[in-house]
Amino acid sequence: MTVHEMKHAASDSARLEAVGGRLSRVDGPAKITGAAHYAFEQRLEGLTHAVLVGATIAAGKVTAIDTRAAETAPGVLAVLTPDTIMALKTASDWFGTPPPDRPYCPLAREVTFSGQHVAAVVAETFEQAVAAAALVKVWYDETPAIVDLSDGNAGDGIAIDAMTKEWGDAEAAFAEAPVRVCAAYNTPREFQVAMEPHGLIARWQGDQLTIWEPSQWLDGMARTYAEWFGIPFENVRLVSPYIGGGFGSKALALAHSAVAAAAARMLGRPVKLVLTRPQNFTSYGGRAATRQTVAIGADRQGKIQSIVHRGVNETAVDGMWVEPLGSVTSIMYATPNFSSKQNVVRVNTVVPGAKRAPGENPSAFGIECAIDELAYELGLDPLEIRLINYAERDPHAKKAWSTRQLREAFATGAEAFGWAKRSREPRSMRDGHQLVGWGVAAGTYPVRRAYGEAMVKLLSDGSAEVESSSIDMGQGTYTILAQTAAETLGVPVEKVSVKLGDSRLARAGVTGGSRLAGVMTGAVYKAAGQALDELIGLALSDPRSPFHGLQANTLVVKDGRIASPRGDGPELSVAELMGMLGCEKIEAKGDTVPASFTREQRYNNYTTIAMALPHTEGDYSRHSWCAHFVEVRVDEDFGTVRVSRVVSALDSGRLYNPKLAESQWKGGIIMGIGQALLEEGIVDRRHGRIVNGNLADYMLPTNADIPDIQTISVGIPDPHSSALGGKGVGELGIVGVAPAIANAVFHATGKRVRDLPITLEKLI
Amino acid sequence: MTSQHIIDPPEDGHFRNGGNNQPSPTTLSIDLTINGETHSLDIEPRVTLLDALRERLALTGTKKGCDQGQCGACTVHVDGERVLACLTLAAQVEGRSITTIEGLADADGTLHAVQAAFLEQDAFQCGYCTPGQIMSAVACIREGHAGSDEDIREYMAGNLCRCGAYPHIVAAVRQAARELRS
Repeated sequence: MTVHEMKHAASDSARLEAVGGRLSRVDGPAKITGAAHYAFEQRLEGLTHAVLVGATIAAGKVTAIDTRAAETAPGVLAVLTPDTIMALKTASDWFGTPPPDRPYCPLAREVTFSGQHVAAVVAETFEQAVAAAALVKVWYDETPAIVDLSDGNAGDGIAIDAMTKEWGDAEAAFAEAPVRVCAAYNTPREFQVAMEPHGLIARWQGDQLTIWEPSQWLDGMARTYAEWFGIPFENVRLVSPYIGGGFGSKALALAHSAVAAAAARMLGRPVKLVLTRPQNFTSYGGRAATRQTVAIGADRQGKIQSIVHRGVNETAVDGMWVEPLGSVTSIMYATPNFSSKQNVVRVNTVVPGAKRAPGENPSAFGIECAIDELAYELGLDPLEIRLINYAERDPHAKKAWSTRQLREAFATGAEAFGWAKRSREPRSMRDGHQLVGWGVAAGTYPVRRAYGEAMVKLLSDGSAEVESSSIDMGQGTYTILAQTAAETLGVPVEKVSVKLGDSRLARAGVTGGSRLAGVMTGAVYKAAGQALDELIGLALSDPRSPFHGLQANTLVVKDGRIASPRGDGPELSVAELMGMLGCEKIEAKGDTVPASFTREQRYNNYTTIAMALPHTEGDYSRHSWCAHFVEVRVDEDFGTVRVSRVVSALDSGRLYNPKLAESQWKGGIIMGIGQALLEEGIVDRRHGRIVNGNLADYMLPTNADIPDIQTISVGIPDPHSSALGGKGVGELGIVGVAPAIANAVFHATGKRVRDLPITLEKLI
Repeated sequence: MTSQHIIDPPEDGHFRNGGNNQPSPTTLSIDLTINGETHSLDIEPRVTLLDALRERLALTGTKKGCDQGQCGACTVHVDGERVLACLTLAAQVEGRSITTIEGLADADGTLHAVQAAFLEQDAFQCGYCTPGQIMSAVACIREGHAGSDEDIREYMAGNLCRCGAYPHIVAAVRQAARELRS
């Protein structure tokens, strides 16, 4: 094998196009001109439109559906009910667990949550389908529902033993500790609310199914469709060139997806089905509502002796979701005694799902508020208590951190924020009628790793192509993979095109848990290296090459030109060389999959999450880290809270593109501001229905709610976390924001609000 | 102002399409002027401008985020003013000048100052709210509401961005406003 020089000098990161450069989004021009066609914007001959009818009860049976008026309405092609939709097979879950051998019906006979799909209308136009759907009449036999965690019939739920983490004797040590705090922290049902609604176009051509659907996981969703319809995996093609936001919500094929694909099969025509905005609040789960009790015992110097943590999250009647509430609790601070246990409680809701930093986000709200409470109990600065209890290694896994720049984050963030000027007493800072509060909290997210593959092609004109079925929902995949290929191949970035979002391309696992960048830069780096090896090998060995016979064992490619490293031979462009070699293209599919993997293991690697590598595998515990410093202003008379300043210092390891990473961090912080102050799914207790399932009543942060946000990278390359040294970016930013705001509100007002969101009625 | 003819609904209140391809009484023939080009459409009166653009004219740059006037993703210009295409019937805007994101750049592809600033400031991530943000930003500057960051935040508050690009949107509008003034 040929050895070639890689350009990894530190100065390279100053170059825009190299890995680490601040290159603008390569998909940006398409997005700012309207040229970017998102998944369900494809134009297809004979396209029909489907609209869903949702249950108006939260629990019970559908006893009858009168479809006659809808069926005779103009343009209607079909009205589907549980009795008339084609039978599907149950698909495996995302771990790949073999499914039970029973039929799957995406339209419900037994209703377990309000809004559950019970019928669908397909018509020639969208307007006709909407009008006809309103004519479908449904009768129910309604039974009492458990509306949420506070329902009197909810009970204590089911213990999830796998969530138990214990060492030492936490309860005894807490009882004996001289200083103790104990409080309950609640987070409500929250929603992802991607601006692009869920939806799809399904088209059958014989036994070949093409799905245009926004997707965080093409291969996983293709597997589900294949299993539903009993067709080979290869017969399903998922296309998702741009995704209008996912935040965890777009990784699975859902009931509405099955309805559209079944309708297309039954009608023999392509079907487009897009959920209405209210249906986006009931057709898939947001973050489960959670409750935690955090008890911390410490000595008089502030050293933690024990943490006792109990958590509960809601799940569905017919589906399981565990939001791991002890994930941050168990690693943030050093403690000799620890106990965390968790239950889940079934309520009549759609099964909750992943929303940005599932687990870590509510977990951090509990522990990062509790540590602030402990600081006040002890008369310590909230920053000081965090340093007193700094975990020098993973207290749970008992392993060294791969990298943990949290101390640097505290120091850098505090300096930039001006923390030293903070007066400790609550209600001690004000500006006119505004009470000013400063709060701090830390956040973390594990480095989720997986094996990946990529195709890299060097073309005869000197350009390069990268292909992957991974996706870009705004994190910047197109851009960082172009940068990785450009740097590795030595060609200008504008000569690299990246193709994503088509399941026919090189396989990819789920885009979630902040793993994609690390997985895919590693795969592209490897594939591009192989392509370059092949080019250099040909250049040295092919008699047609001007380098043939040169006494060199390698060549250097830079700026699209190839030369001997000593500069003693010819220098020409890659295109000229490939022309001389008569070489149309060089293709290299590179992967990071163990060579021992069988075909089935490779399939499972991309279509399930069962093959992911634990973040504590081997000698290290791998996480990204951050510290948020927040200023709030609370109107003394009205209790309104405004976030007026945020400084966050974050350790995501090496950044592949700081410009895009900063955007993602800020996005997480802004979603955290929404979580802290605005967002809450409100359930009507009579009907078990989300009553604010729209973008005006489920309040999101608007531009007018958001101040300037300063983010500072304190990361260093982490060789244990990824091939190029990066750790997770996308989830990290939100973790710790809500507790930092709650702590700032306490500092401003002297009032602890332990139930999110922090709305004015909780302050006055 | 417009050439559309008003049709009374049938006695039972339900419009129905005929079984042939002839325009039924439920269909309006209208001409829409979009980005300087005239498009003839036969559509039902209930078709929104947003669905006319996206489903009939393949102008999918204008996005549907909520279809109920709450998110701003469908913002277009009608006679230079920003309107929500999801709350506007296509038939209402016959004879008026409609500009969508596809018509904002120059014919030679030169980006509008706002578009260029959005790219430079990384004022978007997923890109789905972006056309609406840009159309709002152009109008915001034209309205004289881009004089301060506070003004920009307030007058851009009708366009939701879940990726959280707000600080960068403010920076982009500030930059474009400065460039357009000079």
